[in-house]
Parts: sequence; C-alpha cells; structure tokens
Amino acid sequence: MASSDDPSRREGRYDRRELIRRAGAAGISIGVAGSGFGQAFYGPLRFKGRWLKGDLTIIQWAHFVPAYDKWFTDVWSKNWGQKNDVQVKVDLILNTLLPARAAAEAASGSGHDLFFNLSPQAQLEDQVINHAEIVQEVQRKVGKIGVVGKKATYNPKTKKWFAFADNFVPDPVVWRHDYWNGVGIAPSTWENVRKAAPKLKAAGHPIGIGQSAELDSNMALIAFMMCFGAYVQDAKHRVTIKSKHTIEAVKFMADIFKSGETDEIFGWQPASNNNFLYSGKGSMILNAISATRTPEDLGLPFADQLYIYPIPKGPVQRLGLEHVMGAYSIWKFAQNIPAAKKFMADLEINYKEAFIASKFYNFPTFPGALPFKRIQKLAAADTHKPRGKYQVLTTIAQKYTVNPGYPGYTNAAFSEVFGKFLIPKMFAQVSQGKMSAADAVSAADHDFKDIYTKWRKLGKI
Amino acid sequence: MEALAASRPRGRRWTNVLERPSVLASVLISPAVIFILALVGGPLALAVYLSFTNAIGGSLHGKWIGLGNFRHEWTNPAFQDAVWHTFLFTVISQAIVLVVAGLLAHALLKKFPGKWLLRFLILLPWAAPLPLSLMGWTWIFDTTYSIINWTLQHLHLVSTVSPPQWLAQPRLAMGSVIAVHAWRIIPFATVIFLAGLASIPKEVDDAAAIDGATGLRKFWSVSLPLQLPIATVALLFGIVFTATDMAVVYILTNGGPPPSNSTEMVTTWAYKTGIESGSLGAGAAISLFLLPVLAVVAIGMLIFARRAEVT
Amino acid sequence: MDAVLRGFREKGLSYLIVGPFAIVLAFPFYVMVITAFKQQRDFYDLSHSPYWFHKGPTLSNARFLFNETQYTTWLRNTAIVGVVVVLITLVLAVPAGYALARLSGKLGQSVGVGIFLTYLVPPTLLFLPLFSVITQLDRQTSHLLHFHLRGSIWSLVLVYPSFTVPFATWLLMGFFKTIPRELEDAALIDGASRLGTLVRIVFPISVPGILTVVIFSFSLVVNEFVYAFTFISASTHRTLSTGVYTDLIRGDLPQWGAIMVASLIPSIPLALLYNTFLDRFIAGFTGGAFR
Repeated sequence: MASSDDPSRREGRYDRRELIRRAGAAGISIGVAGSGFGQAFYGPLRFKGRWLKGDLTIIQWAHFVPAYDKWFTDVWSKNWGQKNDVQVKVDLILNTLLPARAAAEAASGSGHDLFFNLSPQAQLEDQVINHAEIVQEVQRKVGKIGVVGKKATYNPKTKKWFAFADNFVPDPVVWRHDYWNGVGIAPSTWENVRKAAPKLKAAGHPIGIGQSAELDSNMALIAFMMCFGAYVQDAKHRVTIKSKHTIEAVKFMADIFKSGETDEIFGWQPASNNNFLYSGKGSMILNAISATRTPEDLGLPFADQLYIYPIPKGPVQRLGLEHVMGAYSIWKFAQNIPAAKKFMADLEINYKEAFIASKFYNFPTFPGALPFKRIQKLAAADTHKPRGKYQVLTTIAQKYTVNPGYPGYTNAAFSEVFGKFLIPKMFAQVSQGKMSAADAVSAADHDFKDIYTKWRKLGKI
Repeated sequence: MEALAASRPRGRRWTNVLERPSVLASVLISPAVIFILALVGGPLALAVYLSFTNAIGGSLHGKWIGLGNFRHEWTNPAFQDAVWHTFLFTVISQAIVLVVAGLLAHALLKKFPGKWLLRFLILLPWAAPLPLSLMGWTWIFDTTYSIINWTLQHLHLVSTVSPPQWLAQPRLAMGSVIAVHAWRIIPFATVIFLAGLASIPKEVDDAAAIDGATGLRKFWSVSLPLQLPIATVALLFGIVFTATDMAVVYILTNGGPPPSNSTEMVTTWAYKTGIESGSLGAGAAISLFLLPVLAVVAIGMLIFARRAEVT
Repeated sequence: MDAVLRGFREKGLSYLIVGPFAIVLAFPFYVMVITAFKQQRDFYDLSHSPYWFHKGPTLSNARFLFNETQYTTWLRNTAIVGVVVVLITLVLAVPAGYALARLSGKLGQSVGVGIFLTYLVPPTLLFLPLFSVITQLDRQTSHLLHFHLRGSIWSLVLVYPSFTVPFATWLLMGFFKTIPRELEDAALIDGASRLGTLVRIVFPISVPGILTVVIFSFSLVVNEFVYAFTFISASTHRTLSTGVYTDLIRGDLPQWGAIMVASLIPSIPLALLYNTFLDRFIAGFTGGAFR
C-alpha cells in the first residue's frame, strides 16, 4: 500500500485547492476532496464512472483480537480500496493514546479521515461532521440502527450524529467453572457472588472486579450499579447518582471487596484483570471474550473451564454495558469525506465478515446487518469447550446491553465523568473504608453536577 | 583590546565588525534564541491564551473567560492534591538522587578493579529509552507477576493471596513512583557530580592533603563548597525534569490508585483534564501553574549557585 | 604497610558504596534479559522462578520482534533523529554557550536565564500548539519539499532542539567558563581574530564539553515520548519510544518477551558508548591547557 504521504498523489489536489482559493469559488463544484459538500468530481475524464479517488486514512485501536486487525488491513481495506479505486491506509495505535491523538488532530485542523475511538467522543462534536448520511444509507440497506448504537452516537439537543458506531462488544462475566464448582455456587446473581466471595478467596482464588483508573473498571462498576437501579443520569440528563440505590450498590461492592478480593484491584491497567485470570489465580472477572480467546490461543490448561455468563442479576435488574463500542468520527476538515462515508457504510452493511474475523468480539450496531439468529448459529459452531458457550453473547447483546449513560444518551458530560474515572473513585472510597457510602455518593454527586453544569452552559446537553 | 583591534590590518569589513564583542555575541546567540522563541515562545503564548478561554475538544479557540479556569482549579481538591503530590514527589526523589549521586561520584573518582563494569551498570538506567524501561518496571510491579512479590512470597515474608501491591496501595504507589524516578535520574546526576569533582584542581587536593584534611573533614570543608555551584545546578535540572515530566507516573500508575489518587501530579491532572476530558482551556491553566513556581525556585537556586562560587 | 592497608580500606569503601547501588540500578535489566528469552508459557506460570529459565531459553520473542513488527525501522528512525538533532543542537548551542560565557554582560545574564526558563514549560502543554505549527508549516512547504513534514520523523527533528538547545547552552556556558580567559587573550595578543580564536583555540579544548552535550542531548531525544506519539501515527515512521509502546501492546496482552528484547537492544550499546565517552570527558576536565 503506497504511503498516503506519497507526494505525487497530494500535489494535484493542492494545486486545485490553490486554484479554487484564488478563484474564490464558493459555488463551483470542481470539487476539492474533503469539502463535505457531497460528491466531488476530479475532472471528468480520468476515472470514468468512478466518483471516489485518492487516499483514505484511518486510525484505530490495535484490536484485542489480533486476527481482526490482520483481516481489516490485509483483506477488507485492500479489497474495498481496489473496488473503489482508493488507497486505504490504516494506522494502528494503543487505545489509551487515542484521545491525545484526536485532540492533536482537531487542534491542528488536519488528520486522518476516519478516527476511531473505543467510546464515542461527544466532546469532539464541534469538530466532526454530522454522520446522519451514513446512518441513513445503512438503514436503507439493512434496517434501523439498534438502540445501543443510536443512544451512544446521537445528540438529541443539537440533533447531530457525532459519530458512527460500527460495533459494540457485549460484556459477559468470565468465570472459572472448576473453582466455583468447588464452592457449589454459580455467579448468576450478585447475591451469589457475595456468598461465594469469601470461600473463593479462602481457596486462594479471589474475585477481580477492578476499582482502578482504567476502562474495564469504569464499565464494570457502572454496569454493577445499574443492576441495583443506580444511574449517573436520567433520560433528561440530570445527575441522579445520589440515591439509595447507589448507596446500596457501593456498600455491596465494598462487602465483596472485603471478603473476596485483594488490594490489587485498585492498581489495575486494562490488561490486568485478564492477567489475573490467565495466571490461574482469578476466579471471576467482567470482561469481553478476549479473556477466553487468549487462553485458547495460548493453550492454557484451564481454557475449557472458562465459562461465559451474562452479568449477574442485582436486586433490581440484570443490566450491563457494552465493554467497548467502536465509534468512528469523520473530521470536518478530513481530506476524503465521501470515501470515508462509503467505507463506513460498506463495512457495516457487510458486517458478517468483521464479526467472524473478530472471533465474535465485534457485534454490529445495526442488528439487521447480521441477525442474532445467524450469530447464534455461528457461535454454536465454535468448537471450543464447553461447546456453544459463545451463544450466550446474543442474549447478552439483545437483552442485557445498554449504552453508557443509560437511560439517557452518551453525552460529553457523561464522557468526562467517565474519562476522569470518578465512578471507580467513588467505589474505592467506600471499599477502602475512607468514606461512608452516603458521603462518597454525595461527593460524587457534587463532582458530577459540576461537570454537567459546565457542559450544559456550553449548550451540549 | 580595542587598541589591538585598531592596530590590526584592515581586512574584510565583516570580520572587523565581528571583532566587536557585542556584535559577535549577538551573532553567536541569535540562532539559538530565534529557534527557541519560535518553537517554545509561540506555542507558549498560545497556551497562555487558551488558559483564559473555555476551549474544548481540540479546537484552539474558545470564549474568553478571564481567570475562570484558574479560579475553578484553585478551589478544586483534585488540583490541590496534585500540587501537594508533585511537591512530595519532587522533593523526596531529588533528595534521594542528591545523596546517592554524591556518594557514587565520590566513590567513582578513584581507580579500582572492576570500576568500568560497575560504572556501566550504573549508567544503564539512563541509557535505556525511558518508555521501554518503564514498561519493564510495570512488569516488575505487576499485580500478579511481580518479581518482587514472588521473591518475598518465597521467602515467606508476605502472604501469597494478598501480597503488597506496589502500584495499587496509595503509599506504596507513591513510593514506587519516587523510587523509579530516582532510579532513572541517579546516573545522570552522578555524571554531573563526577564532572564537578573532577574539575577540582589538583592543587586544592594537594593543599588539603598537606593540611591534613582527609575523609569527612576534607569533604565538608573542601569538596562540598567547591561542588556547591554544580550540585545546585544539577539539583535544579533534576527538580525541573521531575516537576514537568509525566512519563513515569503516566505509564506506571496513570495518577491512581483510586480513590486517593495518591500519584496524581499536576502534569497528569492537566493531561486528564485537557486532553482526555476535552477541557482544553482548563488543562492549559493547570499546566501553567507550574511555570511561575518553578521560575521562582530556579532563579533562587541560580542566585545561590552564583554566590556559592568559590574562585 | 600502613599505606597498603589504607589502600585496601579505600578500595573496600568504594566497593561497599558502588556495589550495592550498581546492583539495584542494574537489577531491572537482569529481569529484562531473562524475560526476553523466556518462553511465553514459562513466564506466565507463577510456579516458575522469574530469575531463571524453567523451560529453556528461546529466541522466539526476538524473532517476533524482528519479523512481525517494524522494530528495525524504529531503531533506524531513532538513530537518525538522534544524530541530526545532536548536530543541530551543537550548531546552535556551542556558539550561544560561548557567547553567554564570555562576551555578554548583564544582558547576557538575562538571556541566559531566559533560555533556561523555557525549560520550565512542560511538553504536555506545548504539544498541541506545536502540532498545529507543524501542520501549518507542512501545508506551506509540502509541495516545495515534495514530502510531508507532518507525520514524518523530520517534524521531530525540527521540534526536539527546542528542549535540547536550552540544556546544551547551559552546560556549555558552565563549561566555557572553566576555560581560562588567558588562553584566548594570549591568542588575541598574538594577532588572531576573535572568530579565529574561537575556531582554532577554544573549540578544540572544548571537546569534553561537546561530548557531554552529545551524550545528554542524545539521551534526551531517545527518551522523549509525548511529541513522538503526537506527531507521528504511521507505524513505519515511529521511533523506538512510541513504536514499542503502541505496537507491542495489544491491550489485552503486552508482548512482554518482545518488549524486553526491544528495550535491551538500544540500552546496552548506549550504556557502553556513554561509559566510553565518560572517561574522555572526565580526563578533559582534569586535563586542561595548563597541565
């Protein structure tokens, strides 16, 4: 793949841009790619019948399932590029570095055409286009976008689709069947987990629900809270963290920590809970299926004993979040917006390939792209033991997964609460006995309201 | 000097112009100054502007809000904690560096067999690219696989299920971060001290020996005063590096562990606020806080170093 | 006899002080060496000692690093950036350091302090505006230069001197101050021009100082992280610090073995290099013109 920095490709475009600037061409549709005004022509004769041209630059995370990246760069992008006469260049980057990179590109007004993030970046709304067109195009072909996808990438206040979510990842609980068998319980409810915790720890196999300043902890704790009926915001985007549900949830988790977990959960990185499981020490974590796929790949002796369940049921409900949601944004200043839009639409419409390449990690946000029944069939065919264990993912995806910020939308204020890891902080204060549950929740309420007021003033919620 | 210059044969005019000390000085200094002004001054001005606005996302403009960001952060307990942590981190790690580097430099002055090898080992932390050695440290401190814990567990000094969590327990986390940072700076400081010590003229050494000053007395009344200027400058650089560099904390703990966030520094807090949460103006304001503080410290120490110069 | 005993005691003291610290400072590298050549299943097994191999050493991590990643490219990029930045630093800082040490009065002092104050600005503050600057520059120059500044290692080459030059200027200023004025005055009396004195007398003596600047600047460049990952996103253009961090961590599973190999390869030669230069540079300090 030729580098997108190849000068010969860029030169023509700059000359044309110069020309247009000098001609003051406001309405002339001798297109400059990236004008965002719809289709762009590159002079009538060069590429007959093709209206896209040039380069398409994409930056995304290094997928937890390496096979997906191989498929994405070597198979999908290559084929798409050939079919559409576009040079596609994909840069992979560690997911924790994506926000800084996005900020830099936005600040400099120049960057990749498609910018990926593991959670929709609502705070960049002003720098990206409205992705409505892509959503409509995909909906035409495969049907409506799922609720999870919509509520995570649409801003009801400004009526703008600030990102295009192509996939989400269901978040099951992964647990050691042999250890839990030993204590005669299964993690089907949080009460069960609480009962089993001290016994498991005594057997040397503590539970691992992180309370650290990292992504996995954030997701797990927010999901846990929801099982108790506690929410950060309501459907009208008012802060609702201060409730007796939250207090109960925080106390419950502190209980589980004291009896069934160790101090390490406060110092975890995103990969730590996986390591915790792979070492054979851990008995349960809340994580996407990379936690089962890697042991399979490594040939770890207990890979068959790793079972997958939906999130345990709490006193109010059984409800979880997606582990991550893949959301692409197209900058307003991107060089090749038409190609970017088409790439996204095509990827989503043909999502079956992506799903399989990711080993069932990526679920499409448009359920029509790959109906759940077909996913179940694929999952049933997976030969890893216990057979068919990945089928439960469809149940989780359909019934027990909502967007971060549920029952509201994922907005910039929620993203900031998320980005500052204020939820793990709240839980940790109680688990470590530093604050009473009521005080910790009040403090969180104060912090959250601060953030929400700020974003409300900015007119974003 | 001027008479000499006048008596020189008239050569090409530009060389004569360069004879004037002030012109030569300006010519010699200006490339560096211009370069620094362009690459540091400009962006700094922009950052200062940003700190007075409510810029968000990655955009480089926003609405002017005056001292709003500063006021907000000044009263923010998270920011106050970050300042305190930065102070602790800087002072303690630099104190360790000062003492260890001083000792090492003294010991490395003399010749002894194996000195080359030992010096090589001491230089390793400095030679290793920082992000890579830090990843090595995250492995050494890993919550499950830490080699330190493994050793302690096998010596039956700690529990197997609940070993010390070097990056997850608040005090331990601060200690680990301080230790790693000191580890990284010690070789650098040792080299600077060695240079300082080596530049003590031999006559002073001999004079001290004649006067009967050896060992500790010699150290106190001879080596220390002579070393003070260079030690001060080394310490100053160390302080500045420590206060403005976020690599160690970012890679090891990312400002955690919750809830006390005992290793959150001003630099990581600024990064979280400005970049990861998108409040660019606030992030700029937080970063700028260090500037006047460090400037005062720097100027103070430089004046001290100049006064302490022994000629 | 007395002298011999004192000799032993002094040497013993040296070993007593230097030995333990050397061990502590180098210990992580020992761990790196072992982990670099350990089989994956070996080091994920808690029952095996991390101090030695249980299942026999392997080159598979090294092979992975060299075959499946762009490691050699990153090494090359880091080397290029390092060398060029050091050269630029010398060109800018040596004259500036000399001028500040010798030729300027009060104004010079303030300029000197001003240069130092630029150090106080954290890169986490500057990297966004600087990235903007690079992008603007790129827009203006890309068709002139026929390549993109932005996203290439040359953007780093342009930006890195902003933190090596102040530091180098300071070091050299201090160093030039230790060179006796009498040397230059002697040459001037003999009829040499100021510029000639600079080139023919002062610079040759300053080799130790220049070596110091080379070592320090190079190490600053190799360790830099924030600018490197902001300005460069393509794997093929990355330097060591970012390449290893982003490409060898697959979120879920950092490739520890490969990471350790990657860390060892630059560290050992650089430490050897610094160690060698160190002797010369110290000898230079004690040497000087009047010995």
